[in-house]
Amino acid sequence: MPSGEPRQAGGSERYLTKISARDLNVFYGEKQALYDVNLDILRNTVTALIGPSGCGKSTFIRCVNRMNDVVVGCRVEGKITLDGDDVYGEEIDVVQLRARIGMVFQKPNPFPKSVYENVAYGPRIHGLASSRAELDEIVMSSLERAGLLAEVKDRLGDSGTSLSGGQQQRLCIARAIAVNPEVILMDEPCSALDPIATAKIEELIETLRRNYTIAIVTHSMQQAARISQRTAFFHLGRVVEVGETAQIFTDPHEPRTRDYVTGRFG
Amino acid sequence: MRVVDPVLQELRESLLRMGSLAEAILEKALTAVWKRDAVAAGEVKGDDLEIDRLDVAIDEAVLRILATQAPVADDLRSVIAAKMIATDLERVGDLARNIAKGAVRLAEHPEVAIPPRLRSLGDEVQRVLHRALDSFADGDAVVAEAVLEQDDQVDADQDVVIRAAIEEITGRPDLVSQGVDFILIAKNLERVADHATNIAEDVILATQARNVKHAAKLES
Repeated sequence: MPSGEPRQAGGSERYLTKISARDLNVFYGEKQALYDVNLDILRNTVTALIGPSGCGKSTFIRCVNRMNDVVVGCRVEGKITLDGDDVYGEEIDVVQLRARIGMVFQKPNPFPKSVYENVAYGPRIHGLASSRAELDEIVMSSLERAGLLAEVKDRLGDSGTSLSGGQQQRLCIARAIAVNPEVILMDEPCSALDPIATAKIEELIETLRRNYTIAIVTHSMQQAARISQRTAFFHLGRVVEVGETAQIFTDPHEPRTRDYVTGRFG
Repeated sequence: MRVVDPVLQELRESLLRMGSLAEAILEKALTAVWKRDAVAAGEVKGDDLEIDRLDVAIDEAVLRILATQAPVADDLRSVIAAKMIATDLERVGDLARNIAKGAVRLAEHPEVAIPPRLRSLGDEVQRVLHRALDSFADGDAVVAEAVLEQDDQVDADQDVVIRAAIEEITGRPDLVSQGVDFILIAKNLERVADHATNIAEDVILATQARNVKHAAKLES
């Protein structure tokens, strides 16, 4: 099997492709971070990206919404499409792209503003509300969908940074979905959270996938197994294997995948 | 070495010990039948208790491993297979006890020659069980496949023994008790072979991620 053609096992025909990467090569200066990556992210599914540190998982998702554009010396070759549109095409408005593809980071990063303003910021700059009432509606529904409204409804004027870590992360998710994205990329969103906050985020991810396409980078094999429908294993900048999560964790076809998920290396 | 490795090794050793005990108890029960040895037959019940203890210990080990190690891939399959194999071996112990009960009854009645076909069925089933346990010990799916192929022959041989026993006791009320025990022993042996078949199927699942259970029925 050519190195750029990961084994795509089982079931992908049941879903529509939302994001498609083809022959993706990424360089940071002289150093190549991704090699010939071919990977489909399917609509309304949670795709877990797993692999050892430095294997290219985060690089991959940062290419999807062009976060790597701001990295000096980063060069992207190949093609990524969102519903068939070339993400790196000349006609693409990067600001609009990032509204369509939201991102949640490892460490919660609320703005040093009120809870309300954190969520209202995106819709305001994208002109999604024509009145204060509409903005209120977007903020409230986003907080509700992020499973946070009940906990903060009396504290909307408090600073976002005054919330607990888990609440801050859900605030960031509310901020991401407030601009009505199609895709949410998550880069280890639970690594700084305790088990209870992690469980809430995981429940939220399961709820969100009904309306959004989600790709999540995680180092927790159990988390990947719990929350995703598909899993892609990255190693040394290549996608080694992609498949339904149950298959990856019960019968990985590639020896390197098996060795990684069973903890024989990594 | 991974943290899970010694835990899995311990599970495997418990299972191998359980397999050895199951073979030994079957051997003792059959020997008791062949030799009309009620004393040896009486020991089988006590021997089976050790198999039951190991079954409980393996249940606990499997729960502990699933809860604390969250095994995946071949580790997960081997843990699940271990649980299923332990259940089959526990049943082999129970079946050996049934055979031993038959040995006690036969010893209490006037001696009747053991049908040669019953002896050969006993030998055959012991070989099948041994091969199934070998396939587990060696992780050898080829041997496991061979075990699966033997099951039909055991079923056929069991039928021959039962038919012969029925013919033997027809019109001979004085032989009915012994004849029925020969039939029951043949039936228990056939069930032992079924459990050996299950063990072989579990070995194939663990080693090759292939579930071959009920394959013929499901394909038809």
